[in-house]
Amino acid sequence: MDVQTLTYIVVGVTFAMYIGIAIKTRAGSTKEFYVAGGGVPPILNGMATAADWMSAASFISLAGIVSFVGYDGSVYIMGWTGGYVLLALLMVPYLRKFGKFTVPDFIGDRYYSQSARTVAVVCAIFISFTYIAGQMRGVGVVFSRFLEVEVDTGVYIGMCVVFFYAVLGGMKGITYTQVAQYCVMIFAFMVPAVFLSIMMTGHIFPQLGFGAELLDATGNSSGVYLMDKLDGLSTDLGFSLYTQGSKDMIDVLFITGALMFGTAGLPHVIVRFFTVPRVKDARSSAGWTLLFIAIMYTTIPALASFSRVNMIQSINGPESQGVPHAEAPMWIENWEKTGLIKWEDKNNDGRMFYSNTETNEMNVDRDIIVLATPEMANLPAWVIALMAAGGLAAALSTSAGLLLVISTSVSHDLLKKNLMPNISDKKELMYARMASGAGIIMAGYFGINPPGFVAAVVAIAFGLAASSLFPAITMGIFSTKMNKEGAIAGMLAGLSFTTAYIVYFKFVNPAANMSENWLFGVSPEGIGMLGMVINFAVAIIVCKMTAPTPQAVVDMVESIRFPKGAGEAHDH
Amino acid sequence: MFQRWWLQYQLKRLVKNSKLNALQDHYQYLLSQLDSPISDIKLLALDIEMTGLDSKKDQMVSIGVIPIINAKIQPKLAQYKLIKIQGTVGQSAVIHGVLDRHLTNALPLQEVLQWLFEQCKDKVIVAHYASLDLQFLQQSLVGAEKQSFALFAIDTLLIDKKRELRKHQSLNTSSLRLNACRERYNLPIYNAHNALTDALACAELLLAQLSKMGGIDKVTLQQLLNKH
Amino acid sequence: MDNSELQPIFDFMRRLAPFDSLHEQTIKKCCQELTISYYSKQQKLVNVDSDEPQLYIVRSGAFEVTTQQGELIDRVAEGEYFGFSGMLSGEKVVNQVHILEDALVYHLSAKMFDQLRANSHSFDRFFNQAFAKRLRNQGSLQHSHISTARITHIMSRDLTTITADATIHEAAQLMSKKRLSSLVVVNQDKLCGILTDRDLRNRVLAKGLGGDLLVEQIMTKEPTVIEPNALIFEAMLKMSENNIHHLPVVDQERPIAIITSTDLIRSQSSQPLLLIGQIERQNSLEALIQVSQKIPDLLHNLISSDAKAIEIGRILTSVTDSLTRRLIVLKQKQLGPAPMAFCWLAFGSQGRQDQMAGSDQDSALILEKTPSEQDKCYFKQLSEFVCSALNECGFPFCPGNIMAQNPQWQLTLQQWQQQFSKWVNTPQPSALLNATIFFDMRGIYGDLSLFTTLQTTVLNKTKGNDIFLAALSQNALQSTAPLGFFRSFVIERDGSEVKGIDLKHKGNALINDIVRTYALAAGIEEVNTSKRLESLIEKSKIDKEVAMNLLDAWEFIAHKRLTNQGQQFNNTQPVSNYILPDSLSSLVRHQLKDAFKVIHEAQGTIRLKFLRQF
Repeated sequence: MDVQTLTYIVVGVTFAMYIGIAIKTRAGSTKEFYVAGGGVPPILNGMATAADWMSAASFISLAGIVSFVGYDGSVYIMGWTGGYVLLALLMVPYLRKFGKFTVPDFIGDRYYSQSARTVAVVCAIFISFTYIAGQMRGVGVVFSRFLEVEVDTGVYIGMCVVFFYAVLGGMKGITYTQVAQYCVMIFAFMVPAVFLSIMMTGHIFPQLGFGAELLDATGNSSGVYLMDKLDGLSTDLGFSLYTQGSKDMIDVLFITGALMFGTAGLPHVIVRFFTVPRVKDARSSAGWTLLFIAIMYTTIPALASFSRVNMIQSINGPESQGVPHAEAPMWIENWEKTGLIKWEDKNNDGRMFYSNTETNEMNVDRDIIVLATPEMANLPAWVIALMAAGGLAAALSTSAGLLLVISTSVSHDLLKKNLMPNISDKKELMYARMASGAGIIMAGYFGINPPGFVAAVVAIAFGLAASSLFPAITMGIFSTKMNKEGAIAGMLAGLSFTTAYIVYFKFVNPAANMSENWLFGVSPEGIGMLGMVINFAVAIIVCKMTAPTPQAVVDMVESIRFPKGAGEAHDH
Repeated sequence: MFQRWWLQYQLKRLVKNSKLNALQDHYQYLLSQLDSPISDIKLLALDIEMTGLDSKKDQMVSIGVIPIINAKIQPKLAQYKLIKIQGTVGQSAVIHGVLDRHLTNALPLQEVLQWLFEQCKDKVIVAHYASLDLQFLQQSLVGAEKQSFALFAIDTLLIDKKRELRKHQSLNTSSLRLNACRERYNLPIYNAHNALTDALACAELLLAQLSKMGGIDKVTLQQLLNKH
Repeated sequence: MDNSELQPIFDFMRRLAPFDSLHEQTIKKCCQELTISYYSKQQKLVNVDSDEPQLYIVRSGAFEVTTQQGELIDRVAEGEYFGFSGMLSGEKVVNQVHILEDALVYHLSAKMFDQLRANSHSFDRFFNQAFAKRLRNQGSLQHSHISTARITHIMSRDLTTITADATIHEAAQLMSKKRLSSLVVVNQDKLCGILTDRDLRNRVLAKGLGGDLLVEQIMTKEPTVIEPNALIFEAMLKMSENNIHHLPVVDQERPIAIITSTDLIRSQSSQPLLLIGQIERQNSLEALIQVSQKIPDLLHNLISSDAKAIEIGRILTSVTDSLTRRLIVLKQKQLGPAPMAFCWLAFGSQGRQDQMAGSDQDSALILEKTPSEQDKCYFKQLSEFVCSALNECGFPFCPGNIMAQNPQWQLTLQQWQQQFSKWVNTPQPSALLNATIFFDMRGIYGDLSLFTTLQTTVLNKTKGNDIFLAALSQNALQSTAPLGFFRSFVIERDGSEVKGIDLKHKGNALINDIVRTYALAAGIEEVNTSKRLESLIEKSKIDKEVAMNLLDAWEFIAHKRLTNQGQQFNNTQPVSNYILPDSLSSLVRHQLKDAFKVIHEAQGTIRLKFLRQF
C-alpha cells in the first residue's frame, strides 16, 4: 500500500474517531456526568488543553525554525512556554473569579469603560488573526504534500476544511475529542523523533539523544556529539554556529518577554480554562497541560537537530560533494511536487548542493521539516501517514477555536456592543458566520503569500498584546487603585510606541533594521516588552493625577484578588 | 374614453349581425354592463383542454366552467363537459388526463357549444390566456355557422402582464403561468390539470387581482374586457 | 352526477378537522354548497354581514378576530375558521375580523352549518370547543370571589317557561323572539320537561312533523336538574356525564333558571378558586386528601374545555400552593408556633408555576438563624408531615430527595446564600443539574422576606457572570429539539418499540432552560417561563421576535402534550409525554415542526450569546 492510500486511511480513521467520540459524549446528558461522579479528570482536561495549545505553528513550524536557525529559534520555545505558565497560573484564576468570559469583557468591566473594551477587542481580534494566518500555512503544507498538489492549492483545500470544521461545529470544544487529538498528535510527533534518536544516537528518548554522541555506520559510538557535528556542518556550509545565538542577550530577553506576555493574552486558550468547572481543577489541569506541552517542546530541539543533520547529509552526501539530482532520495522528489523544495542547478553538475553561500542550489521551506522527517529517515509508510493526521489535528483544532473567537468578537463585541446595537439575534449570527468566512479568506491569503510578512505581523501581534493587554489585565487584577484613565492612557502609550517602532523598522525603513540602529539593541520582534514597560509607567503616572477608582470597583477587585474567595471557602 | 366607445361600437355591430340567439344575448349583456362594477356582473370562468395548441388542427376535449356571482365563486353551479373528438387524444392525455375511453359517452361538439353559449347568455367570460380558449371556440363556430365572430373576455393573464410590466422592465413568460400568477397572490397551488380545476383557479385569481386593483366594486367591466 | 366536483376543494375539505370526520358524500355536498371569496390585505376588515351568518373557512391567508375595542380574541390561519360564534350563540356579531394576509376563503351557509351540527356530534363538539376557547381568550367574566362559585351566582334570573300544552309552533316563536336555545316546560309552576332547539331539529323537522304537535310530545321529560346551591363543578360533571348542554336549576321542584354549557365555560376560571376555598376550610389531613382527589378532575376538565396550557399550569400550581399552606397551618396548630422565622420554598415546576398531573414535589426551608437541636426537631416534624401528606395527596416524593424534610435542604439564609454562590462559582455538572431545579424558586409560606433576600443575592451573583452563564447554556444545549437535518422529526425508540417524540423533555423543558439562562443573565426575579419572557422583553434583554416565538412554541407544545395526555387517559392508555407524529394531522405536524424550529433557533442564539460559538 502506498503512502497516499495509507494517509487517507489514517486521516479518515482518526477523524471518524473524533466524530464518534463527539457523538457519544453529546448523547450523554449532564445527569450521566453527575451520576458518574462528575466532571472530567484534570489529567484528561490537561490533555485537551494541550491539544488546543499545540497549534499547527508549534507542531509543524516550530521545529522547522529551530532546525534552520538553531539556537536563536529557542526564544519561541521559551516565550511560548513562559506565556503559558503566566497565563495558566497567574491570570486565569483571577479572570475566572471575575466571571468574565473574554479579556475584552474583563477590561471593559474592570475599567468601567467602553473605550477600554474596544481597544481590547481590536487587540484580541488582531492577535487571533495573525495566529490563524500561521495555521493556514501549516494546513496548506500538510494538504499539499499528501494530496500531491501545489502548496497554494493545499491552502485552498485547507481553507474549506477549516471553515466547515468551524462553522458546522459538532466536534469542537468537546473534551474527549481533544484528548484523542492530543494522543494522535503526540504519538505522531514522538514516533519519528524516537526512531531517529535510536538510529542516530542509540538513545530511546530524543531528549537524551539530543546531548549524546552520534553512532557510526557500524552502530558504535563515533565519539562525535550531535551538537558538534551540527556546528561543524553549519560552519562548513557558511551558516552561523548552530549552538550559538546571533542575537544579543538583551534582544533574546526582550523577544522572549514579548512573546511570553503577548501569549498570556491569547483569547482562545483562556476560554478553555473557563469550561473547567472548578478553579482547583483549572489549576491542576494547568499543571498537567504544562507537562504534556513539555513532552513535545523538549522534543522539538532534538527532532530539529536530527532532521537538520539528515537533511544536509542526504542533499550534500557523506563527502559534501552533493548528491546527483537523478539519485535524489524519494522525499526530495515528493516535496518538489509541492513547490516547497526547489533545486536550481547553478553549476550544471547535475548534483544538488545546500549551503549558505553562493554555491547553494537548494531552496528548502522550513515548514516541511517535521512532515518530511519520517521520509528522510526512511521510516515505514504508516508513520508518515500518522504525521499527516497529527498535523491536521493540530491545525484544525486551533484554527477552529480561533475562528470562533474572531467571528464572535466581530459580531458581538464590535458590531452588537459598539457599532450596531440594534441588530437582531439572527443578524448577529449571520454576521458571525460572515466574519468567520472573511477571517478564513484573509487567513488563507496570508497562508498563500507568506513568509516575511506573516513573521512581521506575528511579531506585531504579540508585541501589541504584550504592550497593551497584558499591563491592563495585570493591573486590573493586582491593583485596586488603577483607574480607567490610567489604563487607557497606558494602553494607548504602549500600543502607539510599539506600533511606531515596528512600522518604522519593518515597513518604512526596512534597510535600517540592524542591531546598531535599534533602541537599546532591541529588535522589533522584542520591542513589545519595552512597550509594556512604558505602558506600566504611563498608567501609574496618569492614575496618580486623575480621580480615584469608584469604591464599587475597588471592592470588586478586592474580592477577586483572593482566588480562594467566598465561593471557594465553602467548597469542601 | 375612446376605448369605451370602440367597444360599444363593436358590440352593437355584433348584436346586429349575430345569427345565434344565445350569442346575441351575450353581446347584449356585455353592452348593457359596460359601466357596471364587476361585483354586479355575473362572470363565467372557463377553461378548455385541447389535444394541442393549434386551433386549426387540434380539437377541444373538455370544458369546465364556474360562475362568479355577487363577487363569490359558486362551486354549486360549476359544470364540466367532455367533447367527442375525431381520432384520439394522443399524447395530450398526459397533460389533461382525459383518455379516449373517457370520451365514449362524451357529447358532440355542437351540443356542447350550444350549452356553452346558453351559459354565456347573461355572463362575461373569464379565462387565463383567453385568446387560446376563444380561438378554439371561434374556430368551431366557423365550422358550424360558416361565419366568424369576435369574442370578448376578461383575461387574467393580461391583467397580470400589465401589472408585472409596471413593476419590471421585462417579463419572463413563465412568470405569467396560472400557478405563477396565483403564487403572487398567496393562493394555493392546485396540481391537477383539469378544465374545471383550472377554471376554479382562474376564477380565484381574478378575485385576487380585482381586490388588488382597488376592490371588486370599484373596477368596471370596460376596464377589463378585451376583444379576441 | 357529472364530473363537476371540484377536486381541489374536496381535497382540502376532507383533510380539514372537523370535516374529516364526516361522511364522504356529506363533504361533497359541503363542497357544492360553498362559495368562494378573496380578501385582500388592503381591505383591512372583513365585512361581516350579521344578517346572513356563515362559516368562514380559511383556505389560505390569515385573519385576526378582535373585539370592537381591539382586544385580540383569536388568530385564524389556513384550515381554521371564524364566523361560528354568532351562529352558535345566536347573538349578534360584534367582533371585528382583520385581514392580516391576502386570503382565499370558503363560505358555508348557516343553514348548512346547522345541518352538519345536528347530524354530527363530533362536528358540533369541535365548534363548541372552539367557541369556548374564544370566550376564555376574551378573558371576560372572571369571577374573583369564592362565593360566586355556586350555581346561584352564575344563573340568570329571568327564566322563560312554556306550558306543556302549548304547540311547538308557539314554542319556536317564543324561542326565536327571545333568541333562546331552550325553554323550560312547566306544569303548574312545577318542572315537567325541557325543550331545546336540538329537540326541535331532531324530533320535529328531521321527521317532517308539523308545528301543531304539543310541546309535551316533543320535550325531554324528567330532565337532569341541579339545585341553586350546587357547585359549578357539579353542574359540569352532570353535563359531561350525560352529554347535555342545558341544565334547569330547580328550587323545591320549581324551576328558577336554566344554565347552559356556555355559562359554565364562562365561569370556568372560578372553579379552581372553589377548590382552593374547599382546601382552606378543611381541618384534617383525611379531608384534604379527599379534596385533593378532585385535582385530576379539575385538570381533565380544564383540558377538555381546551384551556390554555399556560393557564392550566398556573391554576394547578395555585391549588398545590394552597394545599401546601393549609398543611403547614394544620401541623402548626398542633406543634405551636415556629421557634424562629422560616420560609417554605418551592422549586422546579411548582416554582415555575407550570405543574401538570403527577408532578413530584421539590421544596426546601430557609431558616432565620442556626437552629438548636430542639428547633431542628420542630422543623423535622413539620416538614415530614407536610411532605408525606403531599405525597398522599398525589404529589409523589422527589426522587432526588430535594424536599424540605431532607435536613440537607433546611438551611439558614446565610447557608443558602453560600450554597448558591458555590453553584454559581463552580458550575459543575451537578450544580447545573441543580440549577434547573433550584434557580426556579418561589416562596410559598412563612417569612417571604427571607426568600426575597435570598433571591436578590442569587440574582446579583448570576447577573453578568459570563462563566456561569456559559456553563448554564452549555447545559441547556445538552439536548436539542427533535428535528433532523432535513426538518424531519427525530423519533425516540426503546429497543424496537417506537416511543415517539418526548414533548416535555425535548420541548417545554428546553424552552424553560433557554429562558432561565436569559433570565438569570438579566437578573430577572420572575420564575414562570412566560412571565420571564415578558419581563425580558420589557427590559429589552431579548429579541422581541424570539421571545414571542418562544412563548407561542411553549404554549403549542404544552397544549399538545396535555391534549395528548387527555386522549391517552380517555383511551385508558398509560399517560406519557410521548406523541407519535403519525397520529397528527399534517397541519399540526407542520405547526409542531415550526415550534421545534423556534427552539432550535433559540438554542443557536444562546450558543452565540453566552458560549460564543455557533
